[in-house]
Amino acid sequence: MPTFKLDGKEIPFEKGETIIKAAHKQGIEIPHYCWHPGLSVAANCRMCLVEIEPAANQRAMMLDVLVWDEKKKDYVVSRKPKLQPACQMAAGDGMVVKSETSEHVALARKNVQEFLLLNHPVDCPICDQSGECKLQDYYMSEQATKKRMRDEPQHKPKGQVFGPTIVYDAERCIACTRCIRVCEEVIQDPMLDMRERGNLFEVITSPGRQVEGHYTMMVEWVCPVGALTTSHWRHKGRVWLLKGTQSVCPGCATGCNMWVDVDPRENTAFRNRPRENEAVNQYWMCDDGMLSYDRVYKHRMLHASVDGEKSSSAKAIEAAAQHISAHKGSLAVVLSAQRSVEENIAAVALAKAAGADLYITGKASWDGDKILRNSDQNPNRAGALKAAGVESLPSVDELVHKNHSAILVLGEDAEVANDVVARLRARVPSAPKVVVLATHEQRGAWLGVATVVVPITVWAETDGTFVNAKGVAQAFKRALAPRGDVVTGWEAIVKIAKASGLDTGYSKLSELREAAVSRGIEAAPLKKQDGVSPGTNTPRSTV
Amino acid sequence: MAAGTKVIKKPKRTLADQSFVVELVKGLGVTFKHFFKGLNQMRPGGPRPDVTNFNYEDGIATLQYPDEKRPYARRFRGVHRLTHRANGEPRCTACLMCSTACPAQCIWIKPAEFPVGHPSRGHERFPEEFVIDELRCIFCGFCVEACPVDAIRMDTGIHMTAIDDRGSFIFDKKKLMSIPSQDGDFVTSNDRPEPGDKNYGGITRLQGH
Ligand code: SF4
Ligand code: SF4
Ligand code: SF4
Ligand code: SF4
Ligand code: FES
Repeated sequence: MPTFKLDGKEIPFEKGETIIKAAHKQGIEIPHYCWHPGLSVAANCRMCLVEIEPAANQRAMMLDVLVWDEKKKDYVVSRKPKLQPACQMAAGDGMVVKSETSEHVALARKNVQEFLLLNHPVDCPICDQSGECKLQDYYMSEQATKKRMRDEPQHKPKGQVFGPTIVYDAERCIACTRCIRVCEEVIQDPMLDMRERGNLFEVITSPGRQVEGHYTMMVEWVCPVGALTTSHWRHKGRVWLLKGTQSVCPGCATGCNMWVDVDPRENTAFRNRPRENEAVNQYWMCDDGMLSYDRVYKHRMLHASVDGEKSSSAKAIEAAAQHISAHKGSLAVVLSAQRSVEENIAAVALAKAAGADLYITGKASWDGDKILRNSDQNPNRAGALKAAGVESLPSVDELVHKNHSAILVLGEDAEVANDVVARLRARVPSAPKVVVLATHEQRGAWLGVATVVVPITVWAETDGTFVNAKGVAQAFKRALAPRGDVVTGWEAIVKIAKASGLDTGYSKLSELREAAVSRGIEAAPLKKQDGVSPGTNTPRSTV
Repeated sequence: MAAGTKVIKKPKRTLADQSFVVELVKGLGVTFKHFFKGLNQMRPGGPRPDVTNFNYEDGIATLQYPDEKRPYARRFRGVHRLTHRANGEPRCTACLMCSTACPAQCIWIKPAEFPVGHPSRGHERFPEEFVIDELRCIFCGFCVEACPVDAIRMDTGIHMTAIDDRGSFIFDKKKLMSIPSQDGDFVTSNDRPEPGDKNYGGITRLQGH
């Protein structure tokens, strides 16, 4: 592989790769605004300028400049090398690039910063990007001087609504055009355009359009400053009060990698952010995935119930165990494509011990697309099948025709929704006893026929693994503590099995993990990066 | 007797010494001298030292708190107040700097956006709720230091005294905005005007810049 030298360090690169991208791959950041690894090169912000030494047989390209001479109290003629944008300059073999080590680069960055902040409103106190804003980061690292312009800055519209999810502040915009490019290149829908230039630059929506569709939040996500904000996070809190945890989107079978940002003081999730993974979601997520953090607190099933009466989880587990041991002979266990591999393995073990039949359920499919969204709304169908060690399992549709006298359901979702309820209810007086391990109320059809409901954790409240549609196993970590009387999913199953005299052979999460590995489900280990504020630990401010 | 040892003679004790009566009377004399001196100072119109200089002047050393209080310095950190804008709204922009800085974590703020049509919409946000738990507060003043817009102050001069009800230490927005400074002021000294305000000095696109 060819290499070039960046500040004395050898950086390997692929042919045609730019300097900034090769450095980014090595974890070295060259300050930049308009460049984004997932977008085309615009080279309009000039923050990424670097000094490239001339090749051995060439002269350096020099520019005449005036510099202030403190002794003479006058400008004197001087020369400086012409700097190159690292985001556009293709790396060459043996190139010698100076970024942090060049005084000319340092001065250029400082001046670019000063120009960008000339008309900036500096309303960081009310800006939601504050804490993960490139203008703040580079002000501290590259500029750190007071503002010299004494005039009132240029004022432009603030708080413009661009669509149901996006709000635009023209004063904070640095004209990098990332948002316009993400619309064209990633979302493939040119919803945004621009008008005027320089200080008068404004991003506008295309005539007759607003920012809409399934990927609007990526428009905000790419903005390196606070010019674009989402209506969901806007004025909700401060990023430095959040802690990011590595997670996987539970929204569909694509399994986009993401961070769940949690406020530990309130034990609640406030937002999701894409986590870079070249093989799965690159840098992006869809809106439904970005908003899936609300599953943590919205419509949660927080109380157990037995025969329609509110109860404690411990009592519900006992009641569930009674039904299961009483009906061991004709038990059905319904796995869930919504739940993690570990929970499904526990459920399979219970089914084996009781000699029960296995079925699978999940959510109904939705509109997929060619960008990210998979038409299967379940994050772990492949994982649930692998947990059972089979290619396919009968669906709930078939369950209705069988005469099981007890059913244990993992998760309250059912693809065939109300159908199940109607048909199982119709079987009175031989209606089966149904034990549902549920996360949310008012959602799944199973709750309509439940004899016993045990509230269990959502994905963000426990460690787990999902296997996406492509068969990639991905681990996620616990982001918050379980709320209320909620029992950890796999634990609920193991406890029910134990109380009904069945042996699953599992008592720890690590044992379930080992069982997953023995079934060929091995997720790449996660980095040790959790529990730090978004601005400091995660790629938001470096991409 | 070893060399270098100094012999001290036992003092002779008289009968007066031995009976303690004389020394007792002498001691009581001192006690009563101060008692009557104090009594004289305490009588209405008596020669009491000024409460401010209590430590430096002769005389009685006890301050009759809470009937008597030493005046606090003007910079004394009393209970908080939230300053107002000229139009009576809170100056606070709900930036959460104070609650971030607070070592006791006793400030809780719920930020909100101004409604559509409000002139401050987009320029500012405001605290829908602003709560300080004065019981948890350690009166360090970091919140005042952290505030970028002079919205929170501790210049009320009010020393929070003990109340037997914990709930009354929880100061909400309304309560915090109802407390004036020790000079009786409410309005902030950093009332940033915004486009549309009469005293706004800036240039806007509408002015054809
Ligand atoms: S809104 Fe943000 S992303 Fe778009 S041009 Fe302005 S600064 Fe760049
Ligand atoms: S595409 Fe699927 S996995 Fe990705 S963010 Fe959207 S719902 Fe989540
Ligand atoms: S004075 Fe100190 S402890 Fe009290 S509210 Fe302010 S920052 Fe918190
Ligand atoms: S009082 Fe000041 S520091 Fe606290 S939220 Fe309001 S504006 Fe921010
Ligand atoms: S010009 Fe290279 S990052 Fe903007």
